[in-house]
Amino acid sequence: MAETRMVKFEVLRFRPESDKEPVFETYEVPCMEDWVVLDALNAIKDDIDPTLSHRWSCRMGVCGSCGMLVNGRPILTCAAFVRDYQGTIRVEPLSNFPIVRDLVVDLESFIHKIKSVKPWIIRKIEKDVAEGEYRQSPEQLEEFKQYSMCINCALCYAACPVLAAEPEFLGPAAIALAHRYNLDSRDEGNASRFDALNDGDGLWGCSYANECSQVCPKHVDPAMAIQQAKLTDALQFVHVLPKKSFT
Amino acid sequence: MSAKHFGPPKTPCAPARKPSGFPLGWYRYRNYTIFAATCIPMAIAAVELIVGIRALGKGEAAWDAWLASLATGPMRALNIVCLLFAIYFAFRFGWVGRKIAAGRIGPVPKPPLPMPILGVAPLGGFATLWLILFIILGGFV
Repeated sequence: MAETRMVKFEVLRFRPESDKEPVFETYEVPCMEDWVVLDALNAIKDDIDPTLSHRWSCRMGVCGSCGMLVNGRPILTCAAFVRDYQGTIRVEPLSNFPIVRDLVVDLESFIHKIKSVKPWIIRKIEKDVAEGEYRQSPEQLEEFKQYSMCINCALCYAACPVLAAEPEFLGPAAIALAHRYNLDSRDEGNASRFDALNDGDGLWGCSYANECSQVCPKHVDPAMAIQQAKLTDALQFVHVLPKKSFT
Repeated sequence: MSAKHFGPPKTPCAPARKPSGFPLGWYRYRNYTIFAATCIPMAIAAVELIVGIRALGKGEAAWDAWLASLATGPMRALNIVCLLFAIYFAFRFGWVGRKIAAGRIGPVPKPPLPMPILGVAPLGGFATLWLILFIILGGFV
């Protein structure tokens, strides 16, 4: 049998039917050398306390479901190795989101913000399917590829100090996603995203803390996307650059 | 659809928690908070300069009075604080910018126009703003 090491976990619990506010509970978990924090949470749920609630799915850093705070920092728990932490490991739900139960947060506002920037290809006239796909060169793909790597894990929202002060702020992932579609050569919907990006809670609320890029597990670099979007939108506003759109 | 129009949570929820160490408990958030707070001394310095330009427009006596006011102890202390904040702002802005470019995966997307052209627009706007301020506050209109 593989060797295990006892590790103490402090997990924030919130049961809306009985708790007035979240409280920490401590668990001693026998962890194997190659375990990640998500494995330990699953072990708690399977063997110690089946009432623990947390989100997870792919276990390989692709689905973006298992983002939590581990020792205060936003991280995908499937990518946080237990061996990398010393002493007690503290696990909390993502900050800047209401807590539904235990480690599960309410992502309604996040989804709404993402949707508000219309993150899909908008065309003036849709081609008929029979006419084939919209062609794009490798160079055109490189223009936005990095920003298309976002997995919507919301770690950037949990790290953003602007969101902590102004919950209405559009946020890093939504702005990076809007910028990704604005850079896409197949897209013509720049102007229809302009209002969402440039209203009072849009990209100008960002004051360049850079925490979003620090915690992004896919190196999307939303902070860079936001600064580029600011420059592009400012130049469009003064008509130095044309708006690539039909509305 | 605006991003503002999302309703309250559909189920009973505990309120959102602030990021760990926000705003002053963790050094990175602390640095950010100080960075954001630099707007206060910068605004004070801007007002001070505008008063100076206005004094210049009013004549030699007003200008000398303004210079004399700058030589007082409290004003010197205030200007030293403003200078320190301005240096901190410039330093952090450059430092964060350097970090953003480092360690990225994939190519840096091209700017929408060549950088020398992009640089002219803000500089031109800045120069125009100061020209307008000079004309108005200098008493030319």
